[in-house]
Amino acid sequence: MKTLRLLAFGWYFQFKTISRSPFEGLFQIIYPLFFATVAFLMFSVGNNPKTLLYASLGSAVMGMWSATSTTAGGAMQRERWHGTLEALVASPPHFALILLPITLAMSTIGIYCLVATLAFGRFVFGIELTIEHPLAFGLSIVGTVLSFGALGFLFAVAFVRFRAAWALGNLFEYPVWLIGGFLVPLVLLPEWVRPISWALAPTWGMNAIRESSLGGTPWPDLAFCLALGAAYVAVGVLALERVLGAARKRATLSLT
Amino acid sequence: MTSARIFAVGGLMSYRALFYWLTPMIYIPSLVVAPIFQILLMAYIGRSAGLASDEFYVVGNAIQYAAIPCLFAMMQLVGGEKFQNTLGAILVSPAPRLPLFFGRAVPVVLNGAFVSAFSLLVGSLILDVEIPASAVPSLALVILVAAFSCTGLGLINAALALRIRESAVLSNVFFGFLLIFTGANVPLDDLPGWMRTISDFIPFTHSIEAARRLVDGAATSEVMGLVGVELVIGAAYAVAGYLLLRFFENQGRRHATLDRT
Amino acid sequence: MSVVEAIDLHRTYRTSTGTIRRKWKDVEAVRGVSFSIEKGELFGLLGPNGAGKTTTIKMLITLLIPTSGTAKVLGHDVVKDAREVRKRIGYVFGGERGVYERLSGYDNLRYFAELYGVPPGEQKQRIASLLDLVGLTGREQERTEGYSRGMKQRLHVARGLLHDPPVVFLDEPTIGLDPVGARELRATIAQLVDAGKTVLLTTHYMFEADALCDRIAVINKGEIVAHGTPAQLKQNVTEGAVVEVEIFGIPEGTVERVRELPGVSAVSVEEREQAQVLIVQTPADVELTHAILGRLDGANVGRVSRREPTLEDAYVALVSSDE
Repeated sequence: MKTLRLLAFGWYFQFKTISRSPFEGLFQIIYPLFFATVAFLMFSVGNNPKTLLYASLGSAVMGMWSATSTTAGGAMQRERWHGTLEALVASPPHFALILLPITLAMSTIGIYCLVATLAFGRFVFGIELTIEHPLAFGLSIVGTVLSFGALGFLFAVAFVRFRAAWALGNLFEYPVWLIGGFLVPLVLLPEWVRPISWALAPTWGMNAIRESSLGGTPWPDLAFCLALGAAYVAVGVLALERVLGAARKRATLSLT
Repeated sequence: MTSARIFAVGGLMSYRALFYWLTPMIYIPSLVVAPIFQILLMAYIGRSAGLASDEFYVVGNAIQYAAIPCLFAMMQLVGGEKFQNTLGAILVSPAPRLPLFFGRAVPVVLNGAFVSAFSLLVGSLILDVEIPASAVPSLALVILVAAFSCTGLGLINAALALRIRESAVLSNVFFGFLLIFTGANVPLDDLPGWMRTISDFIPFTHSIEAARRLVDGAATSEVMGLVGVELVIGAAYAVAGYLLLRFFENQGRRHATLDRT
Repeated sequence: MSVVEAIDLHRTYRTSTGTIRRKWKDVEAVRGVSFSIEKGELFGLLGPNGAGKTTTIKMLITLLIPTSGTAKVLGHDVVKDAREVRKRIGYVFGGERGVYERLSGYDNLRYFAELYGVPPGEQKQRIASLLDLVGLTGREQERTEGYSRGMKQRLHVARGLLHDPPVVFLDEPTIGLDPVGARELRATIAQLVDAGKTVLLTTHYMFEADALCDRIAVINKGEIVAHGTPAQLKQNVTEGAVVEVEIFGIPEGTVERVRELPGVSAVSVEEREQAQVLIVQTPADVELTHAILGRLDGANVGRVSRREPTLEDAYVALVSSDE
């Protein structure tokens, strides 16, 4: 209970600081719209409303992923930059309980991107959004945000030693769009890519959102998405132990 | 003579400043690997939309991705000075402005062309796009002209960086704009009419078209017209950017906004 | 049992130069520091920039692992029981960074109150009383990006005290503050001790340590070169005398030349408005004024005076003795 409260409040305050930044906030919403436009134009040549909705949902989740991938990898560097990393590490809770809400707050921004892209598709390209299972749709979005935050957490831990963590985070933007099957059906990708797709929570989150919108069975996808997210957190926590121990030994906590 | 030195030496020095922040840890993910992923992403979206061949996306995105190095580097060369509070020192100097700013652009053009050429090479190897050996010299020329043209736009970007805070956002917006309008991914004929009109007046559109024709086996002479137009467009943006830089410099002196970060 | 106990702490940093062929160099920032602080004491760690103060404090607050040696806070080892230590200490550092600029001062405190597990029912009242203590009441709803440096530093103090820790570490809390702000902050620090807390303060301001601390350890180049009460430290130098020479434009090499004089124990230079003041510590029974003037290379000399040493001189003598 105490842990949940800590996670919830951590998320709340971090979300507050991120969403107040015009740079991190507004830009995150606009940028995916360029890719959405390209996708809409490409798919509209075929002029099939079903594929357009497919593209709209895909672009929307692309935006969600961008919001996470371009920021979460640098989550620790961001705290360093604020000068708050030391104060956070010096506080009693396990650092994972502090870092996870930060990357979750970053992935939550993705909901803005999702809404913006869907609205953009609706009002600029006239793509009607149909939602067959509203409840499943909502839960799928929440599940996707959670798993993105979890993957972002893993990135944040993995990239902690790199000052240019943001560049590494950006690097994972396109590949996940592609391998997660956001706009390209997985069957089109080479056979050997498939296991990677399956290991990526975004693949399952995307499927869950699509299934619940177009009418299908979103629940197994959602379950996989959440299970993978939990696995990422577990791996991240283990890695974090080592990373922090090393930072205390090597005195790298306060470097900017 | 002084001008020539400012052009060459000043350009070279700022080139080093450029690569000071473009460390390998940033260069490789952002300018070597990312363009290849963009090519793959777009080629596969193209396949799934059943729109155009792989070659179309390899050539289009390899050239269009030069926008990242060209736009960001130009922004950084001016905006970065502002950030480090060194801009005042440079603007106070009596150095003639024309060689000062254009000297800075040369390494940027070369770097942009390298990024395009490298991703074109790797992209075509991965997706099995055949580039005729005879087309290589003229392709190199087209890529260089494309990078020049975008660097012209980059100069406008640099000028705006003197004035606005979030210039990185602006660079990304230009990048996204070029992604849509240049025909890199959406065939020009499939763009709505008003968008098609804009396409004619922006960097990359003509060089992408020229490069595609070369890959399809066209002779160099057949694409010289397109290359010429691209050159003119690039020069026009460069001149406009230069004038804008001078204008903002003057404005900055008048309203004390130069060192505002 | 001492509240804070440091035994023979060492800390070495590895720095590297070059990217392809890395050359590693070990820098010893702290070389065998030992001290203990009793309950309710205000203990000062005094030293110039780069002396190892911050490194020492970071080892005590669990942010750095000592290369060797041990330290305990309230009986808990700072390496093995880091979490137990963290629950019981507050940490305040000077400077403008370390706050979430886009959150209000109040939200900054709320966030850390959660991290420190302050019971929800007590948070409001606790924060209100701390805001009062540091004089930020009325400004707490503003975003901290609009705070002055002094306000941010006072917010740090409030944050460090959120969980009412029995031990408080203050790392140069008054650095860069204007004189009034620094005085207010010192008054706040004095209140902490009155409230029964044990405080470790680092500073490079002599008078600050003199005014606040019960005991002082002077640290230089990673080693404690003297410790005791302010009065004891002063005693070390009361034997001597201090000659001050006002010089307009000090010639190069003067300090070295004066230091060579037999009997001179320390030389330092202080910048005044238009002149520099050469401060020379000499034995009480030797008159060195003329010898000093003879080594000034004919520089333009103003007022010359001879006085009793102060604690500041004791400090200067300690940290400049082996330069």
